[in-house]
Amino acid sequence: MIAATGLSKKYGAKVAVDGISFTVQPGRVTGFLGPNGAGKSTTMRMVLGLDRPTAGSVTVNGRRYQHSPAPLREVGALLEARALHPGRSARDHLRWLAASNGIPRSRVDEVLALVGLEDVAGTRVGKFSLGMGQRLGIAVALLGDPPVVVLDEPVNGLDPEGIRWVRTLARQLAAEGRTVFLSSHLMSEMALTADHLLVIGRGRILADCSMPDFIAEHAASYVRVRTPQRGEVAELLRTAGAEVGTADDELRVQGMDAPAVGELVGGHGLLLHELTLVRSSLEDAFMTLTASSVEYSADPVGALR
Amino acid sequence: MTVTAESTTVVLDPRRNVPGARQGFGHTLRAEWIKFWTVRSTPWSFAALFALGAGLTVLVCATSAEWLASSEADESPGSFVTWGMMFAQITAIVLGTLAVTSEYGTGMIRATLAATPRRGAVLAAKAAVLAGTLFVAGVVTAVVGFLGGNWFLDREGIGLALTDDGVLRSMLGSGLYLAGLGLFAAAVGILVRHTAAALSVVLALVFVVGNMAFLLPGTWGEWTAKLLPGNAGSEVTTPVSFNPELLAPWTGFAVFSAEVLALLVVGWLAFQRRDA
Repeated sequence: MIAATGLSKKYGAKVAVDGISFTVQPGRVTGFLGPNGAGKSTTMRMVLGLDRPTAGSVTVNGRRYQHSPAPLREVGALLEARALHPGRSARDHLRWLAASNGIPRSRVDEVLALVGLEDVAGTRVGKFSLGMGQRLGIAVALLGDPPVVVLDEPVNGLDPEGIRWVRTLARQLAAEGRTVFLSSHLMSEMALTADHLLVIGRGRILADCSMPDFIAEHAASYVRVRTPQRGEVAELLRTAGAEVGTADDELRVQGMDAPAVGELVGGHGLLLHELTLVRSSLEDAFMTLTASSVEYSADPVGALR
Repeated sequence: MTVTAESTTVVLDPRRNVPGARQGFGHTLRAEWIKFWTVRSTPWSFAALFALGAGLTVLVCATSAEWLASSEADESPGSFVTWGMMFAQITAIVLGTLAVTSEYGTGMIRATLAATPRRGAVLAAKAAVLAGTLFVAGVVTAVVGFLGGNWFLDREGIGLALTDDGVLRSMLGSGLYLAGLGLFAAAVGILVRHTAAALSVVLALVFVVGNMAFLLPGTWGEWTAKLLPGNAGSEVTTPVSFNPELLAPWTGFAVFSAEVLALLVVGWLAFQRRDA
């Protein structure tokens, strides 16, 4: 479990992370979602003790990362795929990491096979593609078979097959009871991978809820109605208690589901040309949510709705 | 979209985890050792160190032996038997700098500190690997250079014995001085975190500023020159110095060591405080 309380980081006058508190629970994938520059990477670096918090603290399994008796066997992290020397082979890179935490040499070949890099284990990593570098980064994260896995933008640079592989891996790790903390700036990716969502914008937590709750709360839906008798239908639906808006040649109905709209309209002998349930995408919901974080400084009340 | 039931009480089977002991200094040392030897610049640098240090000594002894044995000679053969070590210093500085700055240049420092968050241990292990290797390489290079160069001096009847005054000291001193220079460069590397900048600073300080300081006027200038790291530390590497103005070998090396230590402490403090 990862727990942060009042975690803050300032770089000079710029506030990167602004007093955030959250916990990341084991047994599920927690998505850390935010636009670029929202403070995701900074937060993850503080989790690993790389950056020193300006205020507050963050612990892993109840203690600061620096006090872990065997860091790589406690937390596995993919921070930046390119955090390695281009002149060293993939195997040598894993070898020194294994040695640093007393992890047996056999585990190096195990993780190389796990991420599918065994054929290029002896190749210098400078020659790796972005996707191969990312796979090596994931091998590093899994080297110590850690109960906590932190992945910063793991699908960056991966092809569709690689993306699916990471998604499956993250879900599998969580199913094994591990704590999986995964960041992305892509809502669509999160919707497919995460059970729980932590949305960050401008260094503040904007949402901390389960994925279904997030969808229910933020992904607005309405029923699209097209009819030659717009005036009568709109009047009828309003009388029945629905909210009706108009756009172009259609009616947008909220507060009543599609079958009910159909039955009501049909029951009054009116014509329907189209009846569709329309959901705004999660991407839109995310954009709306993080856009409001930009307004935060001007209107503190408005941001969290 | 996938939604699974949230479970907050799952406990990992501890036997599943990779077995291993608590992280200790031995692990950190081993990791730094592997890191040091698994980049190509390391074997190349040592090859250069040996070629320059031993090769140039042999070359200069071979070409100067006749002159040194003649009545025109105004230098001692003792100044020549470790002559090449002056150039081996450059590779020691390069190695020391790269050991630190290559980690910053590539971002690998984050992997290093995530694997070993105890930063003092990382620094100590790095220093031990660097200084230990440079010491051995320095002594071996100096001995080979001495044996090769002395063979030519012997032919002119002016050869030295290992037991002669200062010879053994210069062999040992060559190793110590290279180790010290490597640490000096590493400490500067920690402070500036940039390969070209660190190399420029150290090379300029040891070779350029060190020589120009002799032009400074008065007692003040004389002492400044004597105390500069390159001048104070290098005396220990030759049986007989070219420059009689300098500090005595071990006195000079003590001054040099203090300077290296001071710089390392400053580097360590910065390393502890800074974000990686």
